[in-house]
Amino acid sequence: MLIREVMKTDLTIISPETKLNDAYALMLGRKIRHLPVVEDENLIGVVTDRDLRLATSKLSEQPFDPEIQVRKIMKYPVRTAHPSDPIELATRLMRELKIGCMPVLEESKLVGMVTTSDLLDALLLLTGVHQPSGRLDIRLPNRSGELARLASLLAGHKINIHSILTYPDNERNVRLVLRIDTIEIKFIAQEICNAGFQVIWPPHIACVK
Amino acid sequence: MCQIIYNPQYKKYNLGANHPFDHARVEMVIDLMKELGYLKEMIVPDIASIDEILTIHGNDYVSAVEDASLGKQVNDLEKFGLGTFDNPVVEGMAEGARYQTGGTILGAQILLENKAKKVLQLGGGFHHAHKNLAAGFCLYNDLAAAIKKMTGAGWHVAYLDIDVHHGDGVHEAFYSDENVMCISFHESGEYLFPGTGWIHELGKGMGRSLKLNVPLEPFTEGESYIEVLKGIAEPALKWFKPDAVVIQAGADAHFSDPLADLMLTTQDFEIIFKTIIQIVDEYCNGRALFTLGGGYSITAASRIWSILYMTLLGFDIPEKIPEEWRAKWEAKIGKKIPESFYDLLPAFEPIPRKDEINRHNKELIRRVMDAVAGDWI
Ligand SMILES: [Zn+2]
Repeated sequence: MLIREVMKTDLTIISPETKLNDAYALMLGRKIRHLPVVEDENLIGVVTDRDLRLATSKLSEQPFDPEIQVRKIMKYPVRTAHPSDPIELATRLMRELKIGCMPVLEESKLVGMVTTSDLLDALLLLTGVHQPSGRLDIRLPNRSGELARLASLLAGHKINIHSILTYPDNERNVRLVLRIDTIEIKFIAQEICNAGFQVIWPPHIACVK
Repeated sequence: MCQIIYNPQYKKYNLGANHPFDHARVEMVIDLMKELGYLKEMIVPDIASIDEILTIHGNDYVSAVEDASLGKQVNDLEKFGLGTFDNPVVEGMAEGARYQTGGTILGAQILLENKAKKVLQLGGGFHHAHKNLAAGFCLYNDLAAAIKKMTGAGWHVAYLDIDVHHGDGVHEAFYSDENVMCISFHESGEYLFPGTGWIHELGKGMGRSLKLNVPLEPFTEGESYIEVLKGIAEPALKWFKPDAVVIQAGADAHFSDPLADLMLTTQDFEIIFKTIIQIVDEYCNGRALFTLGGGYSITAASRIWSILYMTLLGFDIPEKIPEEWRAKWEAKIGKKIPESFYDLLPAFEPIPRKDEINRHNKELIRRVMDAVAGDWI
């Protein structure tokens, strides 16, 4: 999954001359927490609602006047993503830098923004249930052809695979969580088991050797 | 008084030999009640019209189902969930589905006209049928059509689903409807088809906090199930005070069911039915329409629905199932039928995680109630 598939493209942009209170009102009004700061079509900084609140807080040593320009408090330089970056790259970077958003640049032009919320949406898309389906959890030998063998077994029964999640299990195996469009999960688990795969869920499937 | 609804034409809803949706389940109930001298007059419903089906389903979907059922070539079958492993195309299936829907709609009509307070429709319960998608053996959502009939007459209706699977099609149909409360008790969608029915699915807009989902742990036993049923259904119906309740009485939460992992016995089902009737009598004007539903252990489903029948009509449950009757049906279905309506106890090996499961289920009561508390004012 690429950044271009999850980023927001209807952007709210501010100039460095924007006043802090105007930027804050903009965030509240549009229910957003990050504003890219653009000057002469170039991204020159980012300001977050946290930046604004900390800068103007009575608790800070030298509170800024809400009437000053965001130029004074914006963060720069800005770490950015590219539309064709895989989302895991952006996720890792955002976690490492402890930031909540990354502007997306293509040929130095701002084309989108990706925030932690977009990445959570992506997680939901990857793991969620989007159509009525049953769940199979299978331990698969980590070698070529095994997944194909499993998929063709399902296709043989006219069962469609809605989603597949995999993760490493141990050196020789991978775990596979499939969502497939049948209510008869136990029946198909039995078939899969008989074909020599290890079924983790549904439980208590006794294979015919 | 409980009115029974049945049409021999229901049999036309046949998804092929060896398909788990087996009409013999209902025939066994009727034949057994006859054997015991319990069989009452059954009203024969008309087939539901296409217009009645269109109150719930989309035009293109209904055309696809009807055409495929007549053996006509249909493009995009899979888009509608047809021609799949669960919903194969079988000639006459649309007609059968409309006969079954007609029965559930008639049930609604009988309640609306106050001709009976309780209705048992010996068919229907197709809760997985979506607006434009066939799923989980279901084509036309008879339950939604019957509920719509009642809300159309200005009634508030509660839908109670004890099938082991989430009643997703009915929830979807009324997700933002303020006149319908839906409560589904099912095995958690983390493990079981259709994968939905989570606590946070509470309804939308005006329907907010009127759709309740209770995802029980796999291997939940009767005691815990009934505790959660009482803990949620009773306060919910007491608060909503519907004019009538539609109950999808699927039997697939039985421990022997091949499709799921809940561990109810037939004894538990009797308590569940009695609990529901008691709540309906106390808070819902006594009006209830029961339908059948899932139940793929044929020897369990037929006994469970017989218990439902006898409970609704006030007959005592005999100690034994007549031997001649058993011999006759054992020969027909090729399976051993238990001697009693009740399961032999202990019915299964002790469940190792029992305490953990019960604790988790108990938490569900609090979590569901907390989720709706702000709106139930
Ligand atoms: Zn079911």
